[in-house]
Amino acid sequence: MTETPIIEFQQVSLGYGGRTIVRDVSLSLFPNDFLGIVGPNGSGKTTVLRALLGTLSPRKGEIRRAAANGVPPTIGYVPQRDSLELVLPLTVRDVVMMGRYASVRPLRRFTAADRRIADEAMAHVDIGNLAGLSYRDLSGGQRQRTLIARALAAQPDILVLDEPTNGMDLSSRTAILEIIRHLHEHDGLTVVMVTHLLSDVANYVNRIALVEQGTVRLGAVDEILSSDRLSAIYQMPVHVSEVHGVTVIVPEPDDE
Amino acid sequence: MSNVEIITTIIQQFPYALAGSMIAGLLCAFLGVYVVSKRVVFVSATLTEVAVAGVAFANLVGGLHPTVGSVLLTSLAVLLFARLLRSTAVPSDAILGISYIVALTIRILMMQKTSGAEVAEVESILKGDMLLVTPAHVTIMAVTAAIILLIHLVFFRQFLFVSMDAETARTQGIRSGLWEFVFYLTLAVAVSTAVRIVGDLFVFGFLVIPSTAAMLAAKRVGRIFLTAAVFGALPPILGLFLAFKFDFPAGPATVASAVVLLLPWVVQKR
Repeated sequence: MTETPIIEFQQVSLGYGGRTIVRDVSLSLFPNDFLGIVGPNGSGKTTVLRALLGTLSPRKGEIRRAAANGVPPTIGYVPQRDSLELVLPLTVRDVVMMGRYASVRPLRRFTAADRRIADEAMAHVDIGNLAGLSYRDLSGGQRQRTLIARALAAQPDILVLDEPTNGMDLSSRTAILEIIRHLHEHDGLTVVMVTHLLSDVANYVNRIALVEQGTVRLGAVDEILSSDRLSAIYQMPVHVSEVHGVTVIVPEPDDE
Repeated sequence: MSNVEIITTIIQQFPYALAGSMIAGLLCAFLGVYVVSKRVVFVSATLTEVAVAGVAFANLVGGLHPTVGSVLLTSLAVLLFARLLRSTAVPSDAILGISYIVALTIRILMMQKTSGAEVAEVESILKGDMLLVTPAHVTIMAVTAAIILLIHLVFFRQFLFVSMDAETARTQGIRSGLWEFVFYLTLAVAVSTAVRIVGDLFVFGFLVIPSTAAMLAAKRVGRIFLTAAVFGALPPILGLFLAFKFDFPAGPATVASAVVLLLPWVVQKR
């Protein structure tokens, strides 16, 4: 890629309090990129994600942000579904309209344009018919679509998703991944997806950032997700194979 | 005394108690929607206790207005909570539990060293004796409520977004930490101002009961806040009536009235 990165980590170290979690991260995100961030539990994926979102400042190094027009890129963030507080009965439309909050001044009503953008975002992920339903009454897949629509309503340059398929059944999981693929391929959106589900990233992303033992290794999918490397990281035999053109990553069965 | 005579007495002789408690109820119930939806009921209980300790502190020190003492101590508590509750080393409910006990201890120790007349003020707060409310109390309560409600109305979207999903709000340029702090500061000021007029039991009760009833009664977010405000403003009327009728302390009678108001919604939902 010869384009200018929209986000660039330059020798960045990240951590909390007195503790550094990851060191010397150099990572570039380009327009229309599809990056998967993977790694074992507790490796620092969320720390890298927060730095990417701009909610965690680097302890060392620099993070540069510049979209095509020279201004910092807008990020549409899709958090983990269970991180939301759901006591209040917000409708799907209420939740999606939150994506427009940053562009509406205090005490001002939403404009027709804001409503149209929200409607289009809902239609994009096929939840237009759910607009009046309570968000907390939805299934996991419908909630995930709502959160993606909210992120799209912010008209982002980059869509960042944290564990978007966690806890979903096979059909919901596939549907969500196909929506993300569509947003990347047809709408040209730059996508960053954090997940611990290796098969998800193996079949969808262009590049992978593997967070492991305080470092981040960046590379192509087949380069990073090799049997040897994954076996070493997860300290168990891991088998990477292809079935009907789909990469499958599974632990090797114990012969005993 | 007949019922009509009781109502006439309340209106003619205790209009400030009625007005002050209705405004306090409305404000606490409105903020209570966030208290319940953010699951920080114990924070509000602790702040209420700190507010009473603040009155005792002001009386002991002397030369400090009790409301100012109360606001100072609760604001300090909010600052401490903002820092301590982020720590993962100690569970947040342990921090709040310790704060509650410390506030209770401070109050008891300070009352021991304070003169009789000033102890009486703290004791009237603890009993919820609302009948001594003065025009000055009502004015302070009304101005405080107006300012806090205005802040919450103007920045409603920020408070709502941050209460539901602080991390995503932050990625959209909404300063979650700041709005969380502003919320707790307005809660601290509301609790401090109200506690002197209506007592600690009333304040804590009205931070939880009307907002819970409103969540059961209304289906849209905006209506929940409106309903909570109405549910907060009405029980003091019944509470004062019951206090006169049966010679109850006004604060507990009002809290009991709020519970009665909540019951139909709980029964209906079952």
